[in-house]
Parts: sequence; C-alpha cells; structure tokens
Amino acid sequence: MFEFLFKYPLSIYRQGTFIFLAGWPLWLMGLGVLVAAGVLGFLIWRQGSGSSRMGVVRRASVWVLQTALAFLLLFLIWHPALSVSTLKPQQNIVAVVIDDSTSMTTDDENSTRKEAAEKVLNGGLLKALQEKFQVRLYRMSDHAERIDKLEQLTAGATATHIGESLKQVAADASSLPIGAMILLSDGSDNTGGVDLETLSEIRRQRIPVHTIGLGRETMSRDVEISNVDVSARALPESRLGATVSFHQHGYTGQKAKITLREGSKVVASQDVTLKAEGTEQVETVLFNAGDAGVKTLEASIDPFPNEENPRNNRVTRLVNVDPRKPKILYMEGEPRWEFKFLRRAVEDDHTLHLYSILRTAPNKIYRQEQEDGKQGLTNINELKDGFPTKVEDLFGFDGLVFGSVDAPYLTKNQQDMVKQFVDRRGGGVLFLGGKDSLSDGGWAKSAAADILPTTLPERKNTYSFAGADVELTPEGRDSLITRIEEDPNKNVERWKKLPYIRTFQDPGDPKLGAVVLANFVPREGGGAKRPLLVTMNYGRGRTAIFATGGSWRWQMLQPLADMSHEMFYRQLLRWVVSDTPRHITGSTPKSLLADESHVKLRAEVRDKTYLPAGDATVEAHITGEGIPPEVVNMTPEPLEQGVYGADWTAPKAGSYYVEVVAKRAAEELGTDTFTFRREDGIAENFHVEQNRELLQKLSAETGGSYYKPADAQKLGKDINYSQAGITVRETRDLWDMPAIFLLFLGIRAAEWLLRRRWGVI
Amino acid sequence: MRLRAAIFLTLGGLVTWGILHAQKPFLSYESTEDHAIAPLPPDWERQAEWTRGRLKYTSSTWEHPNGQNTGRYGWRTDYPLGDRHTLQGLLRLTRVDAKSVEQVVELDNSSDIYNWPFVYGVEVGHWSLNDEEADQMRDYLLRGGFFMTDDFHGTQEWDIFMQGMRKVFPRRSVVDIDNKDPIFHVVYDIDQRSRIPGAQFIYSGIPWEFDGFEPKFRAIYDDKGRVMVGICHNVDMGDAIEWSDDPQYPENYASLAYRISANYVLYDLTH
Repeated sequence: MFEFLFKYPLSIYRQGTFIFLAGWPLWLMGLGVLVAAGVLGFLIWRQGSGSSRMGVVRRASVWVLQTALAFLLLFLIWHPALSVSTLKPQQNIVAVVIDDSTSMTTDDENSTRKEAAEKVLNGGLLKALQEKFQVRLYRMSDHAERIDKLEQLTAGATATHIGESLKQVAADASSLPIGAMILLSDGSDNTGGVDLETLSEIRRQRIPVHTIGLGRETMSRDVEISNVDVSARALPESRLGATVSFHQHGYTGQKAKITLREGSKVVASQDVTLKAEGTEQVETVLFNAGDAGVKTLEASIDPFPNEENPRNNRVTRLVNVDPRKPKILYMEGEPRWEFKFLRRAVEDDHTLHLYSILRTAPNKIYRQEQEDGKQGLTNINELKDGFPTKVEDLFGFDGLVFGSVDAPYLTKNQQDMVKQFVDRRGGGVLFLGGKDSLSDGGWAKSAAADILPTTLPERKNTYSFAGADVELTPEGRDSLITRIEEDPNKNVERWKKLPYIRTFQDPGDPKLGAVVLANFVPREGGGAKRPLLVTMNYGRGRTAIFATGGSWRWQMLQPLADMSHEMFYRQLLRWVVSDTPRHITGSTPKSLLADESHVKLRAEVRDKTYLPAGDATVEAHITGEGIPPEVVNMTPEPLEQGVYGADWTAPKAGSYYVEVVAKRAAEELGTDTFTFRREDGIAENFHVEQNRELLQKLSAETGGSYYKPADAQKLGKDINYSQAGITVRETRDLWDMPAIFLLFLGIRAAEWLLRRRWGVI
Repeated sequence: MRLRAAIFLTLGGLVTWGILHAQKPFLSYESTEDHAIAPLPPDWERQAEWTRGRLKYTSSTWEHPNGQNTGRYGWRTDYPLGDRHTLQGLLRLTRVDAKSVEQVVELDNSSDIYNWPFVYGVEVGHWSLNDEEADQMRDYLLRGGFFMTDDFHGTQEWDIFMQGMRKVFPRRSVVDIDNKDPIFHVVYDIDQRSRIPGAQFIYSGIPWEFDGFEPKFRAIYDDKGRVMVGICHNVDMGDAIEWSDDPQYPENYASLAYRISANYVLYDLTH
C-alpha cells in the first residue's frame, strides 16, 4: 500500500534525502504561498459579502482549502525528489547468510525451515540477485562460513550466534565491496541476542542487513523451560528453591509435573496447573541440597504425548554444596528462654558452628560453643575477653546474632566493627527483640544504626511482655526463611496456627530496600500490626530483625514432634551466613555453557581484614575431564578494585573444576573453588519459535528491512538502495506519486461537497 | 431445644478449651507455714523474661515412720517466702530478669505449664503422680522444660519420688552429677557441696533428716546429655533460702543454697 501511494518502498525514504530539483530558493515558495493566500482571501471575502449563505466560518473554510491547493501547486512546481544512493550493478557483492543450525530442521507443518530457506532462494531471489551482483553464500552457526552452493547446508550446527557471524561477514567488507547482507534465519540466537557493539559495528560500515524470518512465531503444542534459577553455592543439607520459569502453547489449564533430579535420583517434584497461552509462569520447587559436593541438577517438565518439541522441557544447573561450616557468634545480654531455645533449635544443624557469649551476671560472661551437636569450648581461651575487639577476630565469624544487648555494652570501635562486618566483610547480622534490644538498647544512636533494616523508633519502652499473633506477608510467603511447610498455601496457614509469641517489640519502619517477611498483631489492646521479621541487604552483607524474645513458645506450646521452631531458626541463621564470602570468591557468570566454549573467570580478592587486595597474584588452576591441568593467570579488572578476571576456552564438553589461589608476595591470601560445565547439542533445543523481534530490530537498526518468506522476492528490487559498497547517487521524482494526485482531488472534492451542502454552487 | 442444647454445648466446649489452652494468671495460695507467709511485693505485677514455676501436685497418703501427718508435707512447703527470697537472690546476683513472684503450675492436662519452662518442686518425697500427670511431665521435659526438686530426705521419700519419676521416665537412669558438669560452674564454681540442712537444724542441731545423711545432687539427662531433672536430695535449699534472713540460720548454708539455685536456673537457660 505504501509503495502504491508513495511510488517507492519505505526503505528508500529511510535511506534517501528529500530535495527540490527546481533550484529556486525556498523562501520564494513561502512568499508565493503568502501572496496566494492574500489574493484568495480578498476574492473570497468580496464574493461572499453579498451572500447571506456565505458566513465568516464558511468563507474561512473555503479560503483554507484553496490556499492548501495553491501550496500544493507551488510544491509541485518546485519539483520534489528523493536523492538515493544505489548499488552499481555488477560491481558489488551481496552476502547471503543462511542459518545452518539444527533449529532449521524444525518442522513448521508443511516443511522444515531449511527447506523454506532453499525455496525462497531458489524461487527467484538468488537468480535476481545474481543478475545484478556477485553473491556470496555463507552458512551461519556460532560463526559464519563461506559455502559455494546451497547443497552444502546441513542444518546440523549446534549453536547460532547471529551477532558473531554478521560481524565476521562485515569484516570482509573492509576489503570487499559488500553492498548488503541478507540473513535467512529463525532468529533463534543462543547468546540471547545481538549485542550493541555488533550492531554499531555493522552500522559504522553502513551495510543494510535485510532479514527473512523463517518459522512460526508461536508453537502449537509445546512447553518450554526458559530458565531455572538456583543458588550456585549452598550449605550442606540446605533447603534450596529452584525457580523454574516456563511457558506453553496448547496446554492451558492442564496439569504438568516439574521434577528435579540429581542424576537418576528424584530430589523433588511439584504438580502445577499450566497458565494462559504464552504467559511466563514461574514456580519454585524446594529441595534439599544434600551432602557436600558438586550437584548436577536437572529440572524437567514431563513432556505431553503430542508435544512438538520435547527437547526444551529440561534444563541443567550446577549447585556447589560447600562443606564449610559458617561460624556464628551469638551475643546475649541476659539469660532468657529465647537464648536457650534458639541454641537448641540449631543444635542439630551440623552445618552451623555456633558460639555464644552470655552476660550471666553484671561482671561475668558465659561462653559456649556448639558444633556437630557437641557442646563445650574447643579452645578454652576463645572469646575469653568477651565480644571481639580486633577486626581479625570478629571477621573470623560469618554471622552475628545480637540478643537483648544494649549498644553501649559495645565500645564505639566495636559498634563500628559490627557495621564493617556487614558492609566490608559481607557478613550477616540478626537482631532479636529484647528489653535491651533495638530502641530500648540505644541502637538507634549507635555507630551500627545504618545497618539495621528499620528506622528504629525514637522512643524507649518499645518491648512488651504481651502476646502477639504472627502472620506472613506476601514476601514471607515466598521466602525460604519462613517456609516451614513445603506447600506455600499450607505454609501460610501453618504460620497462622503457630502459638502466639510471648513478647514483641516495635522495630520502627522498614528502610528503603528492606523486606518485611512477617508481621505481629498484638492480642490485646487493639495494637496495630507491626513488622516482626525484616531483612535487608547492606553493603556486601545482610541484616535482619526478628522483633521478639518470645518465639520459644513455638517450641514449648507445640507437640514434641513439631519442628517449626527448629526449622525457622535454622533457616534464618543459614540465611544470615550462607552468602558470607571468604577472602577469595571465585565465580563465573555462567556455570553452564550451552554449546559455548568461552568462559569468563572472575575472582574477588580481599586481604586479612577484607579490604580489596589490588596487588595480589591470582591464578586459576583448572582441571577437567580428559584434559591436562591448566594454570591461568588472572589480571586485575580495570574498574573494580580487588577483582581479577580471565578468559578461557573449555576445549570440550564436560565438568570443569577451578581453584583460585591468591597470594600477596609470599603470603597466601586464600583459595576458593567453583565449577562450571560445558554441554553440547542442547542450545538449539530452545527458543525454536521465530524471533521476529530480533530480526526486525536487526534490520531496522542497520537500514535494512524484514521480510516474510512470501514477500522475499521484493528484496531483489529493494536491495539496490544501499550506502555501502560501490554506489552511485540517483534522484527519484516525487511529483507524480499517486498520493499527491489523490490529495489534489481530495481538496477539490471537499470544497465542492461543502459548497453543495451550503447551496452556493 | 436440641439446637439450643447444641449451641450451649459448643459454647461450653469453647470456653473449656480456652481455659485449658490459655496461660493462667498469677494466683496466690495460702501458706501452710507461719514462717513462710509473705506479702506480695510492690512490683508483683511487673512482667519479666523469666518466671519461676512452683509445681502444685497431689500429696500421697502414706503415713510417715515418724508418725507425722503427711498433710503437713506438700507442694506448699516454704511457699511463698522461699520462692520470693530465691527470686530476690537471682535478681541481686545475676542478670536474669526474674519476676518477683512465683507462678504456681499444675500438671492438669492444660497447656499452662508449657508457658513456664522452669519448674521447682519441693517435698517430692510426698507426691503422688498419676499416669496422666506423668505423661504430661514427660512431654513437658522433652519439649525443653526443666524440673528442679528439693527438700526430700532419706530412703523412703526417695522411693516415693522415684515411683513418680519411673512413671515419667521408666528407662532413664538417675545419676550423680559429675563435679565437672556445667551445672556446678555456669555462674559459680561449686566444687565443694556441703549439707544444706532445713530450719529444724536451728532447734535440733542435726543436719540431716531421717536416714538422709549424705547430700545428693542427682539428675536425669536427656539424649543430648543435658540435665532435664535436677534432683537435690537430702538437702533443704528451700528452707536455707527462706530462713536466710534469720540470724540463727548459718550463713554459709544459705549462701551455698543461693549459689546452687542460681547455677541451676542459669544452667537451664544456657542448655
């Protein structure tokens, strides 16, 4: 339609420059319009002044229409045209890039995508191109490779990297007159799209990329897992959540089962009802991390019998279950039942190593250590002077718990160390309610006030010895800290049935970024609902407030077999410490390389006091199945102090184990280990629908056009217009385009119709 | 009529359920000993983190060899002055935020006792536990409760006490607490534990009662090696503390009783 009205395709308008061929100045046209408007105005005013039917409004309408007509005539006299650069015949190369990945074997009802591509090219497009240009054929996988004929296409490549391939073809343009690229693909790119760098590189060379989209944009019957999000590191026996994101077509309302497997062992499963067509559905499946070691976890949705692509129903992730035992220091200011029952709650959690200091008498402390169910201090001198006074001693712990301890019990330096413990060390701190806690303990004015997840009330006497019921917030419903029942709905009900807490404390209002997981509601006095459990990330670490000293009733007032109190405190303390980093933290952005070999290694290095170590020597020792061990030197990242990086290529599929070793001169700062895995032949199973959005964006950004296979033959004509390669400037007349003729007719017809209606013809 | 009866029955049931499952308020009982009578302290209503439970039990009907009326012995012995002195001692010597009055609790099949995880029982050589009470005591202790006994003497009272405890824990051993156990060190190091006689010592000069010549500090431990039942046999710490403000009662016995009491409370709160 556009081309019918405006004579040329839209792409020409985008590339071309609008000009007037008459060569007369534009101000003259403006003057002509003004003169015409004046003369027409005078004549229409004089003609109508004697007629009662031609009032002011009607005369003005006629004047506007006639002035527009005069402007149109002057516009045509000035001779409008488009100046476009066109490719010189027989002197340019057109690169035809054809997707050769396995997704091209997808059967779209009548034919495969490979067949559709061949049909488009052999249906006249290739011949039309060859008549005007030299045509170079490329097949595309994770790179571009030149081929001589279409028969060399196999549709067997295990990956599609559109950006990388186009960059490679564009590189040829630096020595060859490539005038345009034609990409035939389903747009199913395994790297997540074409990056801005690649786009700007193609744009710089002014090569238009025309895309021909192959394949259906939605499948008829398919369930696809789009992502599985699970913590890359975990403590042994941790309860973890695998967040499975998926979408489906053709199975709305049907039941499906999500299964998590470690090898052949099913570790968890969950029944779900499939939501609306194409909607991204997210479900969290809980599972136990199990013993220490690297776990290869597979999340899958059982395929339906008639599913078109069952290969995209499973995704693998790695979880490194770390055998470390985080150390927690619990400082309690008074002997009370919350202290007793908290310690009991976590005593069977063999991953937590709990130390405690209790102020038993005004000038006495009682120190305890709890590990593997054993009680008693391993080192009799441990913490003998009470709360640590040196950074190295305090930072040896991974988490802190403050019970009913008033802030002035700690020196200003110790309070500052607590803040640094979170901010710099990356540790976790839990504050419990108590008569000497939070506001009542003077924490609002302490050096550690910043790390608290709430703004504490200004007043005192915020701690009440009265019962309060507890209820989860929507965030608490989804949190693993508060999950004492597997099923989220049952969990909410379970919390409602917990015995009331014996004491509560107003913690103030949550700060920006804090998350309230549970509220308390006083049982008497009509008190308002206030936050009970609040968490917040601060600096590198995290903090929480549990605003009660009376949750021990959950243990004493429930049947002996009930484990809700134990589970809650174990999960809360694990949250406090599970993400506390060590001196060295090694990682990779992708722990699973799907048909990729390139891996980025990253290490964050801190010294003994957890300050960034920018002068360290950092090495990654990589071992893998069937490859000789390799040592890779990691170099400092320019913008991040204490962060080192390296690029490495995983030579073949399999699991890789990386040990990062950091030294400063002869001093070893520490080590860390992490794993990643390369898997081949899986990337093309996903995103098999045509990614039209990507193809359209690619062509729009480069000055090309997107075509459906049925319209692809137009390319033979459109491709002539390009600013790349060897071009010549041409002008295209615009005065004779149908749109102007229609506009002319329209103006005249409008005036005639108006006059007829007014009866003044 | 049937509907009305059903409504009344339901309401009655709900009220009964509420009574059984609610935390009971403070109740004051009449003392059975003139010396033990004590007025309520001015701050008796002040709520606190820790409250001492005082076990109210049914006395047995056996006749004592000395011919005394068994009704004289019972849960109210030394009540409430002994309790009030103990609580004042705790407040003075430790950082326990103790309520200034005791809470009388019963094994009455309600959930009240679970609100008081520390319970003190006296003259338990005269108690009589039925099966239901024993079941609840077992449940209470396994959930995390602590039971401290005191002021029973000699073989016969021991046997009566054990008849009840065997119903609670048929297979758990009663053992002498080792000197190294934290219960003797948590606040005070109490390596030497002398006799702690009752008030009768003031008049008789005899530091023992019946055939209870040797003080015994025994315990029943849980599966984690923690004391659940602290059994102070052939000693009378209740009297020692109750009479601690009497110049005739030896100070050393009273001081030791305070220290042991503090240790038992602190042990419970730390284990």
